[in-house]
Amino acid sequence: MASSREDETINTLRERLGQGLLNSWVSRPRRAYVHVRQGSHREAISALLNRFPETTISTITALDLGGEIELNYHLWCDGTVLTVRVTVPKSNPVTETVTDIIPGAALYEREVFDLFGVRFTGHPDLRRLLLSDDWPSGQYPLRKDWSPGAGLPLKAPPSRIGNPDMRDASSIVNVVVGPQHPALHEPERFLFKLDGETVLDVETRIGYVHRGIEKAAESLMFFQNVHLVERICGICNVAHTVCFCQAVEEIGRVEVPPRAECLRVIIAELNRIHSHLLLLGVAGLEVGFETLFQYIWRDRETVLDLVEGLTGNRIMAEYNTIGGVRRDISPSIAQTILREMRNLRKRTSFYREVFESDPTLELRTKGIGRLRRPEALKLCVVGPVARASGVDSDIRRDDPYAAYEDAPFNVPVYDEGDVWARLMVRVDEVAESINLIEYAVENMPSGPFRVRVARRQPEGEALSRVEAPRGELLHYVKSNGSAYPERVKVRTPTLANIISFREMVKGYYVADIPAILVSLDPCFACTDRVALVDADSGRKWICNLRDLRSDRWRKQP
Amino acid sequence: MTSDLLLLIFRVLIFPGFLFLLSLTLFCDWFERKIMARMQNRMGPTYTGPFGILQPLADYVKLLTKEDITPRRVGGVIFAVTPVVSFALFMLSAFYLPIDGLNVFHNVGFEGDLILVLSLITLAHFTLFLSGWSSANPYSALGATRILVQFLGYDIPLIMLAAGSALMTGSLSLREIAAKQSVPLAILMPWAFVPFLLVLQAELEEDPFDIPHAETEIVAGYETEFAGRKYAFIRLSKDLQVVFGAALASNLFLGGPYGPLLFGPPAFWFTFWFVLKVLIVIFVMELIEAICARLRIDHVVKANWSLMFPVAVLSLALTVIAVPWLRGATWIELLEAR
Repeated sequence: MASSREDETINTLRERLGQGLLNSWVSRPRRAYVHVRQGSHREAISALLNRFPETTISTITALDLGGEIELNYHLWCDGTVLTVRVTVPKSNPVTETVTDIIPGAALYEREVFDLFGVRFTGHPDLRRLLLSDDWPSGQYPLRKDWSPGAGLPLKAPPSRIGNPDMRDASSIVNVVVGPQHPALHEPERFLFKLDGETVLDVETRIGYVHRGIEKAAESLMFFQNVHLVERICGICNVAHTVCFCQAVEEIGRVEVPPRAECLRVIIAELNRIHSHLLLLGVAGLEVGFETLFQYIWRDRETVLDLVEGLTGNRIMAEYNTIGGVRRDISPSIAQTILREMRNLRKRTSFYREVFESDPTLELRTKGIGRLRRPEALKLCVVGPVARASGVDSDIRRDDPYAAYEDAPFNVPVYDEGDVWARLMVRVDEVAESINLIEYAVENMPSGPFRVRVARRQPEGEALSRVEAPRGELLHYVKSNGSAYPERVKVRTPTLANIISFREMVKGYYVADIPAILVSLDPCFACTDRVALVDADSGRKWICNLRDLRSDRWRKQP
Repeated sequence: MTSDLLLLIFRVLIFPGFLFLLSLTLFCDWFERKIMARMQNRMGPTYTGPFGILQPLADYVKLLTKEDITPRRVGGVIFAVTPVVSFALFMLSAFYLPIDGLNVFHNVGFEGDLILVLSLITLAHFTLFLSGWSSANPYSALGATRILVQFLGYDIPLIMLAAGSALMTGSLSLREIAAKQSVPLAILMPWAFVPFLLVLQAELEEDPFDIPHAETEIVAGYETEFAGRKYAFIRLSKDLQVVFGAALASNLFLGGPYGPLLFGPPAFWFTFWFVLKVLIVIFVMELIEAICARLRIDHVVKANWSLMFPVAVLSLALTVIAVPWLRGATWIELLEAR
């Protein structure tokens, strides 16, 4: 019965809110929307939490409607993505926070505050999240009436990141890690308060790699945006394109051929293996086990070769497109994939043994950076981080997409919640991905691998979720009936997980910091994509894409 | 008289002194990097010279030409001289090793040069700590405290385990200890040799004990603020320390420069066996490094006082018991024989 779960969730809200619930509808199985009166969103969310205690928040999408700003709270509750919609006037964008009910929303509210200027009353720490500290106040880049360069002082005042107060208390030392540091592979800044070698607290500052992709996406056509979202993250690029294409396909009611869905599984799982092996190797490096790093990265090369064989590119697959995939699989590459998967399975079981039994590795990872299940649920962490803390969630199984509905696979879950468990989840997932790839190659349906899709998409909105290697990836796409999207909202897994870093690292040693950080598999390039850092570079970026577009235009058949 | 002086100058500056030790250090650096790379499925240096053998030299030449940056607020003179002082101290310690059967000063050493050498490297360690402490950088300060904690812990077992060899051979002279080993002590008393290698690993800050300069935690530790010439000397003294540590282990437990003399001048064969044994020890240390993850400083402190220290005491006790049996005489006879 398609009606049961979604309707039950909506009815829960209707009972509680009564007149506060303005409208509700179910767009497709597992997607429900409720529009509530301004101020009722807190009540709605707490009602959901009472009824379904394991409700988590995925993100908050804000939309500029002209006179109003629309806020969409995307919640995952009882197998349904429920979007609670509320509007606030643009002239006085103030609303109440939900962080006291659901602490995982803290960063999403800061993001909306930063980019749309919506003030959340009662938020404990409403500061900038992504824009630089010297960004002029009153400039909200994702509002529709804002364009790069307009009204911005072109020369920014000197950065006020400032020096931390080094004389906090007698024995407490502040140590800054980042933006440039050997343990960080992307620019990021952490301010650690240390007592000797023990971490007392940490303050995180992200936002060093903004590229303004959400804003840029509004000025590009849907099919061009596939290539833009691919560039959000180098490592999980496939997850982004799958996610975006699915959202657009849902809006355009495009039937993707089964062969394409199966091919998407193959490329997505190859991508997952590549990402997980990369991370496991880096984990070895971070705890000073360089040999493990070198070994794992060597095996990762075979996956990159397979990706190249399948798609033509090693890293940036450029494989998915709206309506299917761009290349078919040849029998010879299918055979190569099967052969290499057999080798990789042997290697994976060897690495599993290493992670399970190596004494020095055990000393450095077991019992370190604990995140218990209740905290994991409260902070709404996703993916391997959640699964290592005993939260049994996997979008591929719970909210199936592509060809995952029929594919057999297990979801590894560990209860320890420490660094070791987070690494083991990934080792096990590599093994599961190998099985999935073999299943997909052997059970490949025949037929076309893509359908042609019009540039112009009908009016509508869609929320697409994908289990990226790092966890739940969410794309919200709204179309206004033209070839250009009205809004593209991306919520990457790292933004959901980074909030838990503070809980994990408190009370542990300086030497544990890299291990704990890497066990989150943070990807800041993904997380920081949302805003423009400064007017000049923002304008340049869009120009470049326009040039690119005109080139592509000519080359189109 | 003049020829004696010339010989001494030759020995100190060229062979087996400064130039030889420097080349040996560079060679061992290359050897370390190469075998480590092979163990890790990599190529290692290949470009400069045959098999990349000149790569360490090229690295140092490059470092020497780099700008020498002295940050503001560093501890002035101490910051400037510690790299050279630590290098000089390690070099001086190495001069007492019987490289070609004699030490660099062309004598047989003196009774007790083992103690002198162990004190010198303690001092050299302390200069490394000072270099970090004077850097006015939180990473350096953390690295410096770590080096001190680690080294306070492991110096005591190192000296106790070295005393095992001295007891067994009945001498405190490096040359005597090496010369009296008709069978290498590593075979006679593995209970001292194996812990000695582990403790040495900690002294030399190699994995799993490379905590004072754990790059993913505290950047380069006490080396962070050094650049150019100063950094070159810090690196050089670290490399020399590895060679010296390996040479000490081979001298105390593997018979140092003594081995079968096949033909020609003994000095050649002494040097040959000396270098060979040093390389063997380095190989074993690199093997340990390749298969271990880095420990944490609290693990190290705990492992030292609850494991290595008792092991060292037990090993020394075992040696004391085993000496008469191994040397075929009771303690009283041994004492009377003196």
